[in-house]
Amino acid sequence: MSATRIPPPQPAQRVGAAPKKHEAKTPSEEPDFRSQLDAWLESHRASLVDSLRRLAKQPIGSFFTCLVMAVALSLPMGLALLLDNVERLGGSWQRAAQISLFLQIDASEAEGQALREQIGAMDEVAEAEWISREQALDEFQQQSGLGEALKELPDNPLPGVVLVTPREIDKVTLEALRLRLAELPKVQQAQLDLLWVERLTAILNLGDRFVFGLSLLLVMALLLVIGNTIRLHIENRRTEIEVIKLVGGTDSYVRRPFLYMGALYGLGAGLLAWLLLAYGLGWLNAAVIRLAGLYGSDFALAGVPAGDGLSLLLGAVLLGYIGAWLAVARHLNELQPR
Amino acid sequence: MIKFEQVGKRYPNGHVGLHELSFRVRRGEFLFVTGHSGAGKSTLLRLLLAMERPTSGKLLLAGQDLGQISNAQIPFLRRQIGVVFQNHQLLFDRSVFDNVALPLQILGLSKVEIGKRVGAALERVSLADKAEQFPSELSTGQQQRVGIARAVVHRPALLLADEPTGNLDPRLAAEIMGVFEDINRLGTSVLIASHDLALIARMRHRMLTLQRGRLIGDGEAV
Repeated sequence: MSATRIPPPQPAQRVGAAPKKHEAKTPSEEPDFRSQLDAWLESHRASLVDSLRRLAKQPIGSFFTCLVMAVALSLPMGLALLLDNVERLGGSWQRAAQISLFLQIDASEAEGQALREQIGAMDEVAEAEWISREQALDEFQQQSGLGEALKELPDNPLPGVVLVTPREIDKVTLEALRLRLAELPKVQQAQLDLLWVERLTAILNLGDRFVFGLSLLLVMALLLVIGNTIRLHIENRRTEIEVIKLVGGTDSYVRRPFLYMGALYGLGAGLLAWLLLAYGLGWLNAAVIRLAGLYGSDFALAGVPAGDGLSLLLGAVLLGYIGAWLAVARHLNELQPR
Repeated sequence: MIKFEQVGKRYPNGHVGLHELSFRVRRGEFLFVTGHSGAGKSTLLRLLLAMERPTSGKLLLAGQDLGQISNAQIPFLRRQIGVVFQNHQLLFDRSVFDNVALPLQILGLSKVEIGKRVGAALERVSLADKAEQFPSELSTGQQQRVGIARAVVHRPALLLADEPTGNLDPRLAAEIMGVFEDINRLGTSVLIASHDLALIARMRHRMLTLQRGRLIGDGEAV
């Protein structure tokens, strides 16, 4: 039929043998390490290109799959970033937490100043401020609206106060400092209001747990989305998979293009989620800056840090890969040549 | 090369596909397996491809017991077998070249080697000029020849064909059988399941006749 001859087949005793290195090929055919590496790389490159081509063939479907995954990724990530910002804001408030030392009513101005200097020199104290009895009365008259009534009093009833700003905001440390300051001479009472700090911390802890729970749920949803998408791709390529298995394709060979596809979906979703978060936080930031300005603060939301963005990308790629792996593992055995 | 020793295949629903089948095939032999529909021809091929396992007896292929072969070894077994189907089983979204190259890509050969071998295989089936075309652009006979090129491109020790001429007119069928004989002359064992007795008789090769899963004849076709 044809004049062209190719070399005769290799001995039949190789039939069914696993590819042992010494007998997989005759010496003349034995490819060197470089050729094997090139062939392996070429196989991966071909799988990647094929996966890209298939995604590009259905641009709208691929985009919406990525978008659904991106929304699932950006929800917990966005909440986590907002919580980070609230913690940052809370941290600045906590630093403003102060211990008020009310001195005995007979403490003099000089004693108050000396006490302020003594406390200010302590390691745990960032700053100490002295408010004399007269200053305290002035402030109270201005802020309470009881100015006229207070003028009727025969003596100033307010004590001098030393406002202490601690370096540490840990509850235990603060309480220890309060007790120590309460022991100082001329101190009548040392007051520390930690309740709001505790409440804020509790709210942030609750938020952290909520984000963690939501993340778990959305990771599961994401795995289902990618798993279902890959399952459809597998169904569409049923014949191809059967033929590949029939001509000697291993499970890993069959699995490879789907894993690339899952990772590519993850990459697309990660990039979209990053974009969504960056634009979303930027959009919110304008309102936050305006609100903070009304309170005399220059607080602004931080954007998506590059490290977090890269983690998001990596996590998304990994999730896509795992989702695809699970889907292929589940369906591969069902696809046997008929 | 192939040794059936009292091989039986019983399906879970009770149907018996093969009944204590015993025969041997020598290396480089060309033989037909014939019989009516349901005689067990396809079951025999499926057992050789490890798509199914015998439920009794011993089936040896080059000394390897296919009843005991692990799932992980099956792909490596199939790499040494070429298979041709009546319906070609071509991938219609790939070119003729890519269809034929598939077994070589799975083997991990280099691009250059794949190019050489695919070219030679297509030359052998007289389709060298169709490499860039898609299967849908070819006639049924040409599609079957692409299937044959794919089956032999990796130089298998054994070529199996299930009704390879079932959809072809007599002239094309004879042409395809000529290709199989060419391949056989190079040392490849060829086992063809067919019920085309007229065609088989013209070829004068060994013929196994099956009836309801039993071997009722083993001799040269006349």
